[in-house]
Amino acid sequence: MAALPLFEIKNLTYYYPDTPTPALKNINLRIEEGEFVLIVGGSGSGKSSLARALAGLIPDFYGGKIGGKIYFKGQDLWNFGRRCLRSQVGFVFQDPEKQLVMTTVEAEVAFGLENLGLPPKEMLRRVAEVMSYFNLSPLKKELIGNISGGQKQKVALASVLAMQPEVLLLDEPTSQLDPVAAAEFFSLIEQLNKEMGYTVVLIEQRLERCFHLADRLVVMERGEILQDGSVEEVVWWQVRNGYPFLPPVAQFFGLLHHPTIPLTVKEGRRELKKIWACPLNLGKVSPWKGYHGRAVVEMKDVWFSYPGGCEALKEINLRINAGEFVAIMGENAAGKSTLLKHMAGLLKPGRGRVIVLGKDTRTTPLVQMAHEVGYLPQNPSEYLFRDTVEEELQFTLQNLGLKDEGKIDAILNQLQLTGYRKLNPRDLSSGERERVALAAILVAQPKLLLLDEPTRGLDYCLKGELGRLLAGLTKEGLTVVTVTHDVEWAAEYADRIILMFDGRIISDGPKNEVLSDSLSYSPQMARLFRGLARGILTVREGLEKVRVNGERVYAGQSG
Amino acid sequence: MLDRLLYEDKGVFLQSLHTVVTLAYLTVLFVLALLFSHPLYLSGMLIISILAVLAAQMVDKWEAYLKMGLGMAILIVGVNALVFRTGKTVLGLGWIRVSLEAICYGAAMAIRLLGIMTVFCLFNGLIRPDKLLRLFSRLAFKSALVVSLATRMFPLAARDLLKAREMLQMRGVDYAGGSWTERLKKYSWLLDILLLSSLEGAWQVAEAMEARAFGTGPRSCYHTELVRPRDFLCLAASLAALGLALYAKVKGYGDFNYYPQLDPLLTGGSAMTLLALIMTSLAWPILLSWGWQLCPYLRSKI
Repeated sequence: MAALPLFEIKNLTYYYPDTPTPALKNINLRIEEGEFVLIVGGSGSGKSSLARALAGLIPDFYGGKIGGKIYFKGQDLWNFGRRCLRSQVGFVFQDPEKQLVMTTVEAEVAFGLENLGLPPKEMLRRVAEVMSYFNLSPLKKELIGNISGGQKQKVALASVLAMQPEVLLLDEPTSQLDPVAAAEFFSLIEQLNKEMGYTVVLIEQRLERCFHLADRLVVMERGEILQDGSVEEVVWWQVRNGYPFLPPVAQFFGLLHHPTIPLTVKEGRRELKKIWACPLNLGKVSPWKGYHGRAVVEMKDVWFSYPGGCEALKEINLRINAGEFVAIMGENAAGKSTLLKHMAGLLKPGRGRVIVLGKDTRTTPLVQMAHEVGYLPQNPSEYLFRDTVEEELQFTLQNLGLKDEGKIDAILNQLQLTGYRKLNPRDLSSGERERVALAAILVAQPKLLLLDEPTRGLDYCLKGELGRLLAGLTKEGLTVVTVTHDVEWAAEYADRIILMFDGRIISDGPKNEVLSDSLSYSPQMARLFRGLARGILTVREGLEKVRVNGERVYAGQSG
Repeated sequence: MLDRLLYEDKGVFLQSLHTVVTLAYLTVLFVLALLFSHPLYLSGMLIISILAVLAAQMVDKWEAYLKMGLGMAILIVGVNALVFRTGKTVLGLGWIRVSLEAICYGAAMAIRLLGIMTVFCLFNGLIRPDKLLRLFSRLAFKSALVVSLATRMFPLAARDLLKAREMLQMRGVDYAGGSWTERLKKYSWLLDILLLSSLEGAWQVAEAMEARAFGTGPRSCYHTELVRPRDFLCLAASLAALGLALYAKVKGYGDFNYYPQLDPLLTGGSAMTLLALIMTSLAWPILLSWGWQLCPYLRSKI
């Protein structure tokens, strides 16, 4: 007799309360014990709703209308007692700040166990074991507010695992983490799946980090499962149908119509060497144009300390010219956002000078700066508060004393928001809200646009749209400076990369130069071509290189 | 400045006591400071509190309290001397006429105030807030959870408020300009944003709590605090001090009449003996603290 699947979903359809369209539509899915299932899809495709349904949060917590059935270990999931279900299905959410409720690490890990009503001795054992496994013991008395984002997400995972669930549901757990912390998090997940046998259902946008870990891939769109199968099957299906939910290495080989599609850089390099005899000359990185053109930002020997005494910027010397698209990268607390706030004039340097568009930020009032500098903090859509999209844009114009003169129409059109003009921004999807926040800044036609983590929480398509939009705006003369952890996005769209570490700029130059050889901040394509060709960062550049430089070799091998 | 007032783990003996014991010891000090009016008894309580501060290596923290306390103490002595003229021993200080009794009463109240402030300083420095919270969570879990959530979320709300302000400033909102009604309106926008974001955030927190089985049935309580011999010794000393103090109160040894004329300071051997016994009992945790620091043998035994 075949073993029962861990989860079996039959004809599941679900509507959130007061919504006419289903969030999940006729879902049929089986998840076997010990599997690693990766769910991909655009914003609003129903990925998170599916995970909530598997956890029993839908309809328990959300309400709404539901049809179909979910079986967990052969039994109707909705007939499981809440306590029993919560103890067997663990859920780690996107934002570590919004899922930790206690004051210290140890208390947080114990919180779920207390809720399950476990005896004190059992709790003590589980807390000690899980803290030791995650190497959290040195932090056990630490206040949650004092630990880093990566540590917080590790605590969230530890607190769920202490409950000893059979399955782990992870909803974009690394979207708030820098590449190093994200890699550490995924190595833990890999260990749990491969060595401890946990069933993992992962929803993720940055696929290059986790694609190779999955046994199965599920592609969702508009609440439906479009494709479900082994990773290889679904990769080929995506290549044939032009879907973008592939890491760059897989995309590259898919577009080359290579007979096998590697999922990791290691496999990719092996395949690349088979098909492409790399020239002895690795090629040259196009030389940096240097400091040419009109300076938009000039920072001269800038130092800054926060009132608490933390030295956040040290000896910053920087010049950014008109029309540049600059990405600032580095680990958390490296000083990236502080640098951006200095360019906005929100922070004034302790020593040194910051000149933005010819104005010294120390002596220029912020209101005056706001006429020419646009600034969006992290998660800007959380700061929208007017009743309609149009009012959000009018608000900026009124405060800056500007007249509309068709500006609102133009920007709504440019950002494809015209249809949402009279809607409340908070009723829109996350991608649309991000665009409204951007429109509220761009309507003032700034000359310098400063963005802090603009791709956080955006799917592949939305990130692409944003990248193309910003790249287009730089061609019209706008200067864009953005802080980002998204290496692939920066490699695709930025011109120049500034790497920061411990308050200092440790590398500054054209993206091909800075990202190619970086250990933590190189995109997958750069790692694929390391030692074979220089300056390849994107799939497009890789294809061009192989087709132009190695066309004969490639054609000969494959033909 | 604020950091100096908050809890800081220094690994000292008094911080290693069980929360219930520390709480009991500080409560006894606090109650005794209120119970007695005799200046020698009040001074005794203050001396014990200061010795505890020294034993807990909290002098820097105490200095911050002392700065506030001394100002208020001087004010109390001054105001009391000027306002109350019921004492019989009138002192002529130029054109000001004050009574010795009023000055002494003010001084005794100042000592009491300093004693109470020192106890609060010890409370902040010796008891980890989360341990206290866990202690109360056994009695009233939901209230303790609300406090815990507020403690976690308040800094986040403050951060959101700052970010919202920065974003609005970059959209042309000038918080320094305009009339006070206009400024009020500008600040109300911040509250709108904070309210909307907090409501969305609260939903996410609630969902995460639900996913971790919150509210699925009776809870148990996780506690890791160990009870050691030192806890019994210190608790016994605190209770002994309280018992002796109550006896002194019943006997009237701890009382002192300031008006219309000061009572004699030394009323007899029994009162002083009792004071010495109370102080010895209260000094017991401090003596153990020094012994714990200096004698590895004692450290291993308690």
